[in-house]
Amino acid sequence: MPYKNNNNEHLAKVMNELADSVLGLSDETILAEVREAGVDPYEEAERTRSVLRDAVELLENVNRRLSDLGHTINSNYWQTRRGGYHNDCLNCGASVSFTTATGEMRGQALRAQCPASDQYTMYRREASRK
Amino acid sequence: MASPECFPPPTRSINASPKSALLVENDKSLSSCFKIQLETEGYAVRSASNSEEGLRLFRDLNPFNVVLINYYIPPREGVGIDCLAPQIHGVQLAMAIRDIVPLQGIIIAALDYTSAAEVPRPPELMRVPLLIDNGNGELRRLLEKVEVSRAIEALTVSEKLKLRKFAELLVRRLGRAAGGEDWEDLLKEAFLRTWIGTESRHKGRHWNKKVDFVRHLTETMRSISNSWSRQRSSERDTYLVSELSIVDADGRENSPLDSVASKDAPADQDLIESDEMDEVVALFDQDLEAKQVLRGRLGGLTDREIKKKYRFDEKRYVAIMKRIRELLGHRAHA
Repeated sequence: MPYKNNNNEHLAKVMNELADSVLGLSDETILAEVREAGVDPYEEAERTRSVLRDAVELLENVNRRLSDLGHTINSNYWQTRRGGYHNDCLNCGASVSFTTATGEMRGQALRAQCPASDQYTMYRREASRK
Repeated sequence: MASPECFPPPTRSINASPKSALLVENDKSLSSCFKIQLETEGYAVRSASNSEEGLRLFRDLNPFNVVLINYYIPPREGVGIDCLAPQIHGVQLAMAIRDIVPLQGIIIAALDYTSAAEVPRPPELMRVPLLIDNGNGELRRLLEKVEVSRAIEALTVSEKLKLRKFAELLVRRLGRAAGGEDWEDLLKEAFLRTWIGTESRHKGRHWNKKVDFVRHLTETMRSISNSWSRQRSSERDTYLVSELSIVDADGRENSPLDSVASKDAPADQDLIESDEMDEVVALFDQDLEAKQVLRGRLGGLTDREIKKKYRFDEKRYVAIMKRIRELLGHRAHA
């Protein structure tokens, strides 16, 4: 930031400390806090787990779809922009992107088969492996 | 949903105890190669050379952090593989293991295929990672993914609640800079970066196993929220040159450089942030004690100074902090 803003810094600091204080709570305290708010802690916990699982699903779905269409991406080159991930097929250059918030996937690579991919499925079995 | 009894041991034990792997591979040279790789990654390895022995070892010795199964495994000792027939024993073993421990981390080595899409397997195993190419550290990457998946399943109820509450408070902290994104977006983003970090230590956010998984995720969320805040802040400071140009009464255009942001906060920026702070404090209009604590914290006082100033004892202070967390978290969620 080109300037110093005391208000903003203080607010950020306080909120950071509040967030940290959550980590220091005992298991009983956090469960009690959630119950007191009138919410089922087990449902809330399950929702958190779903959020984590959904994130993996999203990325793996994109990878699977790309693989089915013969595109090859280097997973080291996912470009992160706010709320979105972008990549390109190494063979044909078609782009792919998805957003974490909505799970929306888009891009040329998801619409068509990679023209540069090998169309012939290859199965091989080395004679030595018996 | 699987019952909690099926979950692997808690995350903390991943860090504390040695990791173990079951390797089911009939080819001696490959078995030796996999064993070395697994041991290099810190796993204690038990080996089986056929499906029957693999299942027996799993039943006798589980839990294992991971089970690595060759897709082309023979069913029993002394039975060869018919390369022309459909290969079912590796898949059957994986299914049998999942029947015993539904969330067991499994990797299927299908080195004879060129892509995962070609490997025939039932829908239940579509999400099981496949090792197609054993070069370039591929096995290490898959092991990382298995460990991260395992860490999610091992999170306790209170750990999940803490992650959620932490995310809610960080989003609340962002205020307008959150740009409409909520705690789920922040947590999802943190986890995606961790998942991408399993691919490479230089991309995403690599989970160092010496750090508790919850701590890893919270620090990742903090880093993301800081970056969102910076982005939003720089977006607000961006002007078009035409916006900066001023034409005076004589029609002369002044240099845009005259209007470049100084070291001081622009007045509108200051107002926005002051508004955000007032909004937060205003949430506690009905709770004087919470307002006093918040004002004290915003004014730079320490916990001890606030307690002394307002004569709060420890118990009362903890209760006030709880109310603050509750209301701010609730608002962020709403």
